[in-house]
Amino acid sequence: MEFLNTFIKAAFVENLVLAYFLGMCSYLAVSKSVSTAFGLGLAVIFVLGITMPINWLINEYLLSESGLLGMDLTFLRFILFIAVIASMVQLVEMVVEKYSPSLYSALGIFLPLITVNCAILGGSLFMVSREYNFSNALAFGLGGGFGWFLAIIAIAAIREKIRYSNVPPALRGLGMAFILTGLMGIAFMSLMGIDPAALTAGK
Amino acid sequence: MLKLLKQVEPDKEKSPFLHTAYDAFFTFAFTPNMVTKGGVHVRDGMDLKRQMVHVVLALQVLYLFGTYNIGHQHFVALGEYTGFLQGAHLKLVYGLVKMIPIFIVTHVVGLGIEFYYAYKKGHGVEEGFLVSGALIPLIMPPDIPLWILGVSVAFAVWIGKEAFGGTGMNILNVALLARVFVFFAYPTYISGDEVWIAGIEKAAEGGYFGQAYGAVYGVFDSLFGSLGLATFGDGGKAVIDGYSGATPLGLASKGGWDAVTQSYTTGQMLWGTIPGSIGESSKPLIIVGALFLIITKIADWRIMLSMVIGAVVMGLLLNAWGATPFMEVPWYYHFYMGSFLFAMAFMATDPVTASSTSTGKLIYGFLIGFVGMIVRVLNPAYPEGWMLAILFMNVFAPLIDHYVLQANINRRAKRLQAAMKPAETAAAPAAAEAQA
Repeated sequence: MEFLNTFIKAAFVENLVLAYFLGMCSYLAVSKSVSTAFGLGLAVIFVLGITMPINWLINEYLLSESGLLGMDLTFLRFILFIAVIASMVQLVEMVVEKYSPSLYSALGIFLPLITVNCAILGGSLFMVSREYNFSNALAFGLGGGFGWFLAIIAIAAIREKIRYSNVPPALRGLGMAFILTGLMGIAFMSLMGIDPAALTAGK
Repeated sequence: MLKLLKQVEPDKEKSPFLHTAYDAFFTFAFTPNMVTKGGVHVRDGMDLKRQMVHVVLALQVLYLFGTYNIGHQHFVALGEYTGFLQGAHLKLVYGLVKMIPIFIVTHVVGLGIEFYYAYKKGHGVEEGFLVSGALIPLIMPPDIPLWILGVSVAFAVWIGKEAFGGTGMNILNVALLARVFVFFAYPTYISGDEVWIAGIEKAAEGGYFGQAYGAVYGVFDSLFGSLGLATFGDGGKAVIDGYSGATPLGLASKGGWDAVTQSYTTGQMLWGTIPGSIGESSKPLIIVGALFLIITKIADWRIMLSMVIGAVVMGLLLNAWGATPFMEVPWYYHFYMGSFLFAMAFMATDPVTASSTSTGKLIYGFLIGFVGMIVRVLNPAYPEGWMLAILFMNVFAPLIDHYVLQANINRRAKRLQAAMKPAETAAAPAAAEAQA
């Protein structure tokens, strides 16, 4: 139940893109068509879902004072987290290149750039600051990834639709994407404030 | 008459702005009688402007009732003329005095921006604002400060519509965007209890009292006085004891259905003689409007039906869960409270922002009902969910359409393949025979 709560909270209530505005670079750059956005979204779900538990283990058993080394190594957190993320992204990149070359070429530089996607590092750091346990970290990773995935395919569908609109020239492209993101953020505010944990506690 | 109007038509070259304005009012008043006769072209005068006017017509009864209800609620709060028809002239005048400025500000701001862009882009004024402009006053609390109203309308029309290229291009419902802007930017003006009843102020010591009547009412007072009717008097009276002014939903979220029925009867909620936004409260009149829209095929019944189903399903689930008193409110009572029907009839069915495929509409409506109930019941931050649920699904409507279309394409491709196979097997023996 706690797993589900964290998942729902990360995916809908505290959406990484639309509530925290993290991971904007690839979100804005790759959201021109639904199919590529779909691919990148899946990649982000995968990377977030894998790196969060691994980073949790690293943080708990290597870096903390109660861990295996018995020293407070938390100053290494950023480097180690990024290293884990980078290696996972490398893995995704190889898989995508092998099985879907068209997606690989469509994503281009943005696939390796998932490494520095702040949603992913941000997710890991949220996990530390919120003191999640292992299953919560996994749920937060998958949920956060799913929320990111939803946001990017939604904006991609909208951008496909407004391609036929008579948008003022000054706003075409990125300008419109920013306005859209803001409006989508308003729409997502509808769920903000729901606390699944509090509801189940009342039961 | 037509000739006279044609004579005053400004020259398009010399004064483009005047021509734009002229054109807007001219086509509003007269249907162009240029109708294509042959081929597959448009065959009757049912253009976008006529379609929009139908929606505005459907809203007229709500305007009438809403205006009267503003006055009614005001006097009920003060403990005067508590019968619905008592003091009707006072209530009507009071409602009109509140309503007309809201209506005027909405239209001056919204149409002003619309006219400016039409002139700038050099096309006729688009008719989109007719409906938005008719809806916005109905979903505002009667006591909303006019400058907030103006700002919110400007935001909605500018960012929500003109940035996207004008009528028919917007992603989010313009009227809802205006309301949501007030809701998030000036929360105390729309989520508090007292704003739902016009002319009631919170005193410093915590009680409520009626505002003093201004000069406008003085004019009417002298008129009514000379006719021997009841007058407004001085105002500033205290509100009757125990009157909280809370809306049914506000009560339900605290104490469940019991708390609601202590203050309001189901009959009051059904007919709409309760505080609330101007146009949302009377259920039968909204249903009349909705039927009118369905019969004239302006709004799609699929969205309305599936939205009801979505709300019922979520209501049943919540009843089964029943963790808080609000969750235990039986699902059928949810239709009495709040703005469900108004949102269903006039907001969700907006053809621009809804899904445009038939299957998509069913999914879209269902999810609005579903999400709306979640926000209404489970989210402690907001008392009502339909406005936000519809905006939420507006965001996903293009995505739903995309996947419905993809599914269609895939299914047809499969059907084509299935049709090709027997044809091949049938063709093979024939070819063999021909060879023999």
